Amino acid sequence: MAEGDPQAGSGALQKALRALLPSSKEGLKLDVGDRVERSVLLLLQQAAELFYGDRRSECLQISEVILDYSWEKLNAGPWRDVDKSWRQVYSFGCLLKAVCLCEGPEDTAAVPAALRVCDMGLLMGAAILGDILIKVAAVLQAHLRPESRPARSPPREQPSAKRAKSDHVPIPNVKIERAVPRVHRPSLEYFREQFLVPGRPVVLEGVAGHWPCMKKWSLEYIQEIAGCRTVPVEVGSRYTDEEWSQTLMTISEFISKYIVNEPKDVGYLAQHQLFDQIPELKQDITIPDYCCLGDGDEDEITINAWFGPQGTVSPLHQDPQQNFLAQVMGRKYIQLYSPQESEALYPHDSHLLHNTSQVDVENPNLEKFPKFAEAPFLSCILSPGEILFIPVKYWHYVRALDLSFSVSFWWS
Amino acid sequence: MAEEHPGAWFGFGFCGFGQALGSGRGPCVHSPEPLRVPGAETCHVSASWSYTAVVTRGDRAELSGSASGAIGDCADAWASEAALVVLRVGAAHGAELQVWSPERAPRGEPLWTHAVVREPARRQGGAQAGVLPLLPGACAYVSPRPPFYRPLAPELRARRLELGAEHAVLLGEAGQVFSWGSGRHGQLGHGTLEAELEPRPLEALQGLPMAEVAAGGWHSVCVSETGDIYVWGWNESGQLALPTRSLAEEGKTVQGEATVLTLDGPDLKGAAGGEDGGPAPFISIQSFPALLDLPLGSEAIKASCGSRHTAVVTRMGELYTWGWGKYGQLGHKDTASLDHPCRVQYFVEKQLRVKAVTCGPWNTYVYAV
Repeated sequence: MAEGDPQAGSGALQKALRALLPSSKEGLKLDVGDRVERSVLLLLQQAAELFYGDRRSECLQISEVILDYSWEKLNAGPWRDVDKSWRQVYSFGCLLKAVCLCEGPEDTAAVPAALRVCDMGLLMGAAILGDILIKVAAVLQAHLRPESRPARSPPREQPSAKRAKSDHVPIPNVKIERAVPRVHRPSLEYFREQFLVPGRPVVLEGVAGHWPCMKKWSLEYIQEIAGCRTVPVEVGSRYTDEEWSQTLMTISEFISKYIVNEPKDVGYLAQHQLFDQIPELKQDITIPDYCCLGDGDEDEITINAWFGPQGTVSPLHQDPQQNFLAQVMGRKYIQLYSPQESEALYPHDSHLLHNTSQVDVENPNLEKFPKFAEAPFLSCILSPGEILFIPVKYWHYVRALDLSFSVSFWWS
Repeated sequence: MAEEHPGAWFGFGFCGFGQALGSGRGPCVHSPEPLRVPGAETCHVSASWSYTAVVTRGDRAELSGSASGAIGDCADAWASEAALVVLRVGAAHGAELQVWSPERAPRGEPLWTHAVVREPARRQGGAQAGVLPLLPGACAYVSPRPPFYRPLAPELRARRLELGAEHAVLLGEAGQVFSWGSGRHGQLGHGTLEAELEPRPLEALQGLPMAEVAAGGWHSVCVSETGDIYVWGWNESGQLALPTRSLAEEGKTVQGEATVLTLDGPDLKGAAGGEDGGPAPFISIQSFPALLDLPLGSEAIKASCGSRHTAVVTRMGELYTWGWGKYGQLGHKDTASLDHPCRVQYFVEKQLRVKAVTCGPWNTYVYAV
C-alpha cells in the first residue's frame, strides 16, 4: 500500500478542492431568500470574504458560528417543517469549514475531520452549488484511500463475523399456507394486476439476482469504498425501546463496534440514504423496472440502505409508500399483516409512533393484545437476490437472521 | 432595582456582532467584563442572538450589535431575532406596545402597535422592565411572530412568562407553573413528548409554589419559594446539569458526581441516579421536572436560560452556570461545556454579590453589587 509523499499529497488536495469552488466570492452567493435572518446573511457574506481573502482561521471561526446557529434552526420543529434555506445555510457552513480544515497546517487528522464535516452537511443540510459537498467528499475520500488498490474486491467472501452465533438463532418456521407467494420475473402487467393494484405482497425472484452488488458487496468491500464516511446508526434492540438512541460514526467504526468485535449492543445502520451520500455504491444497484408502474418520477424514489448484524429488529409498522425490499447480504425473516387488520395490531396512540404497532410480533403479550392472536398474516425468509414487494401501508416486521444488507425502494 | 450602593452589569459569551458585551475584541468573551452602555444606568437587559437591548433608568432602550441606535420613552424591551418589542410610555405615547423589525429600529415605523392600560401606580422608571413578553395587566403576551398579540386566560393570573424556541412557560400568581407549545424535547414537563396547544399546569409541581420560571431554547427551569431548582427538557449539552453522553465521549462528564436526588412521592422523581447509588445513566431528554441540587446546598433565588445553557443566582449572591459553553457563555474563562453547576469565580474574587442574571441565546448578563 504505497503512500505518496504527504507534502505533495496535501498540495494536490488543496488544488483539487479549490478547483471545485467558484473562483471568487461572487460565485459563492447563496440564494436563500427572506427565510433566513439578515444577521445570518451578513455572516455568510463575511465568511465568503474571509475565505477568498485567505484569512483561513477567521473564516473557520465565522463558519463555526454559522454552523452552530443553523444547527439550532435545524432542531427547531419537526424535521419536515425545517425550512430548506436553513439546511442550505448549514451546508454552506460545512463547505467552508471542510475546505478551511484542509488548507491548514499539515495534520493527519484534518482530512478525516473535513470528510466528517462534509458528511454532516450531506446528512442534515440541503444541496448547494450543484451538490458540491458530494464532490468535495469524493476528493477527500480519494485522498484518504491508498492509491495502489483500485476499488475492486475479490469475489464475495463470507464475513469474518462470528458464525457460531447462528446456531442459536431461532429460524422461524414459515408455514406453506402463510407463505408470501413467489413469482419469477413477472411481466409488468402481471405484477400490476395481481399484486400492485390489489395490494398483495409477493417475493420477486430472478429480478435482482444479477445486480453487481450481489457479487461485489462484502464487509471488506464496503469498508474499502465507504469506511471513512460518517453515517447515522441506531443503537438499541428496537426503536420503540426507551434505551434506543441514534448516533453518528464512520462505517469502519460501525463495522468494528457493532458487527465484528463481539458487540455489546445492537447497532443498526438503518433507513439511511447511503447511495445519495456515496454515489459509487449506487452503481452497484438498479431501480426495479416495476417502479415505472407508479405515478412518481424516478428521482422521487427514496432508496435506503439497511446494514446490520444478525438480530436487528424493525418492530411491526407501516409506511406511506410502496416498497421493494431487495436483499443483498444475509437473510431476513419478515412477517406481514394487511392494513385491514390494523385494529388487531394495536397501533400506538402518540402522534410520533402512530404507524407502529405496540405488539412484539415474535413474543406477543396476548393478555394485553388479545385480538393479535387471530389476525391473519403472511411470512417469508428473504434471501440474497430476492425482492419483497410490500404494498403501501402493509404492516411489516423484520428480523435479520444473519449479518444483513438490504436495499429498500420507496415509490408511489 | 435601586439599591443603596448601585451595582453594575457584566456580560460574557458571544458578541460576534459587536453587541454590548466586553471590549469588542473577538467574537466572544470567556470571563465577565463590565458592560459599557452609553447614557444613564442600566436597569434591564434583553439579549437576542445578534443584538442586545439595554433599558436604562432614563427610559431609553439602547441597541447594540446587528441592530443599533436608541429608542426613547421605553419602560421595557424584549429582544428576539424576528422582532424587538418595546413598551413605550410617557406623554407622547400614553402606554403603547410596539413591535419593531430589529434591522430597521429605531428608524421608520414599528410593524405593529397596541395601546395598553397604564399601570395605576407607576413606580420609578425601569421598575416595569423585565415583564415582557408578558403584557402589563397579564391578559396577553407578545409573540415575536404574527399574530403578535396572544391573549391569556385571565384565570391563569400570569405573573411571569418566558418563551423558548418552540414552547412557553408561565408562572401564575399562586406559584403554579404552566407550559405549552412543542414538547418534542420534553421541554413542557408533562412527562410526554406530545405538544400542548393551551397552557397546561405541571402536575408534578402541584403543591410546590414557585418563585421564578425560565425558558431556554429547548429546556425549562423553575425556582421554588424555598430555593429549590427544578429542570426539564433537552440535556444535549448538559443544560439540565444531568450527565450527558456528548460530554462523556469527550471525557468531560462528572458522571459519578451528578447530584440529582429523588423526592419521596410518586409524582416527582429525580431523573438519573441508579437505585444502588451507582453512576447515573445518560439523560438526553428529561420530560418531567427533576430536582437539582447546587453544591453546598445553596438556595437559588433567580434563574435564566440561554439557548442551551442555564444560569442561577443564589441567596448568598453567587452565580452558577452550566450547559453549552462553546462561546464562553458560562463565564469560566474557557469554552468547555458542563453538565454540572459551577460557580462563576469572577464574582467571588471581586467580592461582588450577584443580584440578577439575564441570558441571551449564547451569552449571559449579570447584575452584581
